[in-house]
Amino acid sequence: MNLGVRQMATVRPDDESFEALFTTEYARVAGIANRVLMDQHEAEDVAQEVFIDFHRLHSANAQYAPAWLHRAAAHAALNRLRGSRRRQRREVAQATDVTEANDRIVDPQKQFEVNEDRRQVREALARLAPKPAAVLVLRASGLSYAEVAQALGVGIGQVGTLLRRAEAALRKEVTRGTSL
Amino acid sequence: MVDDPDAHGGADKRHLETCAECQARYGTVSKDALAISSLMTAPELEVDVASAFNRVRSAPAAQPRFGFRLPVMRPGSRPMVLAFATVAAAAALLVTAVAQGGGIFAPATVTPVPVKVADLQALSQLSAYGTLTWTKQPQAQVVTSAAEAKSVSGLTPPTVASLPKGVSSTVTYAATTQGVAVFTFSAAQAAAEAAKTGKPLPKLPAGIDGAKLTVSVGPAVAEIFGNLNQAGASDPTQAGMPQLIVAKSDAPVATSTQVTVKQMEDYLLAQPGISPELSAAIKAIGDPSTTLPIPIPIEFATSSKVTVQGVQGVALGDNTGVGAGVIWIKNGEVFGVAGTVKLADALDIANHLT
Repeated sequence: MNLGVRQMATVRPDDESFEALFTTEYARVAGIANRVLMDQHEAEDVAQEVFIDFHRLHSANAQYAPAWLHRAAAHAALNRLRGSRRRQRREVAQATDVTEANDRIVDPQKQFEVNEDRRQVREALARLAPKPAAVLVLRASGLSYAEVAQALGVGIGQVGTLLRRAEAALRKEVTRGTSL
Repeated sequence: MVDDPDAHGGADKRHLETCAECQARYGTVSKDALAISSLMTAPELEVDVASAFNRVRSAPAAQPRFGFRLPVMRPGSRPMVLAFATVAAAAALLVTAVAQGGGIFAPATVTPVPVKVADLQALSQLSAYGTLTWTKQPQAQVVTSAAEAKSVSGLTPPTVASLPKGVSSTVTYAATTQGVAVFTFSAAQAAAEAAKTGKPLPKLPAGIDGAKLTVSVGPAVAEIFGNLNQAGASDPTQAGMPQLIVAKSDAPVATSTQVTVKQMEDYLLAQPGISPELSAAIKAIGDPSTTLPIPIPIEFATSSKVTVQGVQGVALGDNTGVGAGVIWIKNGEVFGVAGTVKLADALDIANHLT
């Protein structure tokens, strides 16, 4: 008499709603991950994993869907950043190529400084507590104060304070090793 | 104020214009914000959404069997497993622990019955002694509004007066229609089962072959509170963990034919595979014609009787915040409050539920 299983079997999949949600939010979710990882391939990997996890556990019609995706993208990307020392070593080796391709910077000295700053920002981000790191990433990815508040489950009035503290904390971490 | 367009007018700005201290702080904050903004720039992405969707759709994990998984079913959530086990077991136990000497079982109060999980699992063996069919299949749905939950179940979701600190006000609704299950006892099946275990079939009471026990459960509604968009620091798949579930259901009703429910209960409990502990626990119930036994798996929680909204209820858990719940019956409806809260908070929610 397994009521749970019997009842669940009657629920309809919401594939159409999921496709609509994916179309609306994918670029933004990938953008959040890219803000952390600075790597399109990895960012899209993270974004797709986040959508798969969401679809497995939640209804695409849920009101909280975008906020859930944004937060999960930030945390999943930050986790990947923290967990991958090997990746960081690879990044240093590849940084010059990536920067050149994306930014068209030709001054070798300037190019080196930008690469070094970005590398240190990512290392600093990985050292921050999850919430300050997420608030910075979400805001930098273009989310409004209201969207950041929803994603992090805090009041909109707290976002400014969280952001300022996070910026100060990140700057402190980064200042040790950059030209800031 | 540095990058919040809403803060650029009003008293704060006027104050800033005249306060040297605040101007200095504003300067520092602006400098931080500018520096971080510059460092956080990233190359723009050019994504192919259609290809990405195809990749996600072809991933095995993206093909859920039911479109969703009830949060209470998530493994590793002890309080939720407890709550689910309690509710499921309450329904299952009705098959065996119904009214002594009466044709209709409509409980007006609840009582805790400590059992082992193994005892509850043993109830599935009932199918060896007859057929269990749903004449009315309960239909469950997760919905996004109270109105939708009402349209599915016909019940208005209860209103929580105030949530304990730390519990998100984000709410998801679940609703299920009424279900009616009929257990028909079969002497032939019982004899075959007894032969399999090598134990003799207890003497059959007159009229028990073909006797039907009908149990109706629900409809029911549940409010699932939890910051469902809160991703775990190390595992985003844990993001949807509910913090609190508030449920309301029509009280279950059981009827029997040919024999009294007490006779069927006694006979079923005498079958091989039903533990003596469960049998003793059921017999310990004072007056089951008015009492719904709430089985409490002893591995999970302690229980006690409490007064909720002027009636007797069953409380589970403690004040550690690991998990607690309260179940009671009032005016023909069963209510439950359970979650990762302190028992005192669960009781407070229960007493102020409207």
